[in-house]
Amino acid sequence: MKILVLNCGSSSIKYQLFTMTDSNWSVIAKGGVEKVGLKGSFLKHEKENGEKVLFEGEIIDHKTGIDYILGVMLSEKHGCMKDLGEIDAVGHRVVHGGETFSSSVFINDEVIDKLEEMVSLAPLHNPPNLKGIYAIQQLMPEVPQVGVFDTAFHQSMPDYAYMYAIPYSLYRKYGIRRYGFHGTSHRYVTKRACEILNVDYNTQKIISCHLGNGASVAAIKNGKSVDTSMGFTPLEGLIMGTRSGDLDPGVITYLMDKEMIGTRSASVLLNKHSGMLGVTGISSDSREIYEAAEGGHELSKLGIRMYDYRIKKYIGSYAAAMGGVDTLIFTGGIGENEKRTRAGVCEGLEFLGIEIDEEINNKSRGKEVVISKPGSKVKVLVVPTNEELVIAEDTKKIVEKL
Amino acid sequence: MADMIIEPIEPYALSKKVQVKTLFSRIGVIGCGIEAQGIARIASWYGMEVVLVAKDQEKLESAINGISKELDKRIQSWGLTPSEKRAIMGRIQGSLECSSVAGCDFVIEAIPANPETGFRDLNERKRIFREVEKVVSEDAIIATNATTIVITELASELKKRDRTVSLHFFVSSPEAKIIEVVKGLYTSDTVYERVCKFVELINRDVIPVMESAGIVSMRLYVALLNEACHTLMEGVASMSDIDKTMEIGLGMRFGPFRSADFIGLEKVVIWMENLYEEFGQQKYKPAPLLKRLVRAKRLGVHTKAGFYKYDDEGNIIAEDFLSGKIG
Repeated sequence: MKILVLNCGSSSIKYQLFTMTDSNWSVIAKGGVEKVGLKGSFLKHEKENGEKVLFEGEIIDHKTGIDYILGVMLSEKHGCMKDLGEIDAVGHRVVHGGETFSSSVFINDEVIDKLEEMVSLAPLHNPPNLKGIYAIQQLMPEVPQVGVFDTAFHQSMPDYAYMYAIPYSLYRKYGIRRYGFHGTSHRYVTKRACEILNVDYNTQKIISCHLGNGASVAAIKNGKSVDTSMGFTPLEGLIMGTRSGDLDPGVITYLMDKEMIGTRSASVLLNKHSGMLGVTGISSDSREIYEAAEGGHELSKLGIRMYDYRIKKYIGSYAAAMGGVDTLIFTGGIGENEKRTRAGVCEGLEFLGIEIDEEINNKSRGKEVVISKPGSKVKVLVVPTNEELVIAEDTKKIVEKL
Repeated sequence: MADMIIEPIEPYALSKKVQVKTLFSRIGVIGCGIEAQGIARIASWYGMEVVLVAKDQEKLESAINGISKELDKRIQSWGLTPSEKRAIMGRIQGSLECSSVAGCDFVIEAIPANPETGFRDLNERKRIFREVEKVVSEDAIIATNATTIVITELASELKKRDRTVSLHFFVSSPEAKIIEVVKGLYTSDTVYERVCKFVELINRDVIPVMESAGIVSMRLYVALLNEACHTLMEGVASMSDIDKTMEIGLGMRFGPFRSADFIGLEKVVIWMENLYEEFGQQKYKPAPLLKRLVRAKRLGVHTKAGFYKYDDEGNIIAEDFLSGKIG
């Protein structure tokens, strides 16, 4: 079965074409379109043998981008199939599923209507996701499509964890509550960790740290997400590259008043000027910050301490929320590759039973590995995430039932 | 990238039908005053390529510099990041030739008023309209940024008259999310709709208006400013307090005096005279104080003094220095 996975952003389209059997999978083509609708747009395609091709030209919208992606995959020169009919299904990453979608769904007209309604909850992310869905409808009308939501995995959170203590009427009126994001990633790495450790997913207390450009921690108890650090928007929780994470809401109103800025600028301030970039003044890139810190840059050192401390606080609170923790996972660009962050976060958590093996941690980059000491009560793992695979698997499962 | 193959993408189109040209991918802005700068900045902000045409190199550099400074202000007030600014500036291409708007599907004439007379040279604007029509494609839209009755007259210069429209960007408050769109006698519905689409793309709302002197905004504003001048001269309240009353009491972003300084008093006086001529009503006749300031060449922020005094960055350095003497 061939499944195309699409992740449409505001000006980008990422894709992977999977061949899947019941027990096995492989990626036969992948790539991405950048700068959709902008000058200098291009499509970067990687073939199964690793050969890369760059296609340049005007790509005016998502539909054109997807048209070219399909065209390249069908081409004699760079393609991997002969007929569009070989694609059995298309799986889409959809950022916001609101309270309507607690699992992946087959996309029909009703689902599309619901997604349109949800645009107000994720005005930046859901519209391009929808554009991808519409494009496939037009280009391959016969092919079933599946939506896999970033928020779905966290729909199992109990109400006392997802509600904010503001007037309940605002929850009713606007759906203001915590939704959480990175759900597909948290779901994948926690399940995968249990496979690696050979334990039952449904009996474990797991804390999963997805540390990338965006970052979130999730608490997974007995196979269900019970809490996560991102909330109504992906701004809450951990300190991120350019996002502030948790902040006294009083600071926002105070700043808007003092700096005489409106909601738009306040949003840019918290989403793009803040986080590690805002604190260090150096960069949002952890590698550059570590480099600066090693060179004695004080604010970079401060930023790193703040970053690690915030994660540590969440680990502590989620251990409390679940009444313990069996497994701690690091994933995402920083979680997978940055040994210093992992060490910084775990430092001083021995009382919880978290003890990492310094030597193994230092050697581990971007591959599945247990980094805790053999005697550590809590198993600590690095598990590279693979959201595309989850989307492909969910899509396969859903279309097989059709 | 070393061993990467690079190819053009077009042959890989799956749907072989002719690709629709991007709507408003490239915008021409003719002029280099604050109106033109504002239009160029906003269009580029929303991802369009902009060709900014100026009369000479010095004016072009000053216009580009003006846009850059305005964006710096946004960065300082947290509304923009430096990398976003680079992208916006990168999309604006300066030129001294009208013909460089050739590839644009939308061209807006926004030449500044002559600082001596306060008038925007009508013959020059007509010439620009004719020049632009020569180089742009058949379906390109040619617009003017105006608040006066002019679009039908400008359209008359063209071979294809239904492609014209008049817009009004709010200069005193460029972030105001509305644009008055004027349909001239010749403007076709298709063109009007496409312009509305443009306005939507730059995240503004259309205020559809008929061709009428001062349209809505300026007609109401000049009456307010006149009344503010009279109130001031009668000694009812100080200048900054009158502004403050309108800003806080009635929710205007800037009071009448500050707005006038932004717009340029010479322009305001011309509008008033224009309205007075059109409607013959006393309320549009420029207040003596306004005319006095214009004669004294105190024209507003751009001359560093109007009702208020300003530093190079356009910040007020003296309030109410009018109340003692006019100097």
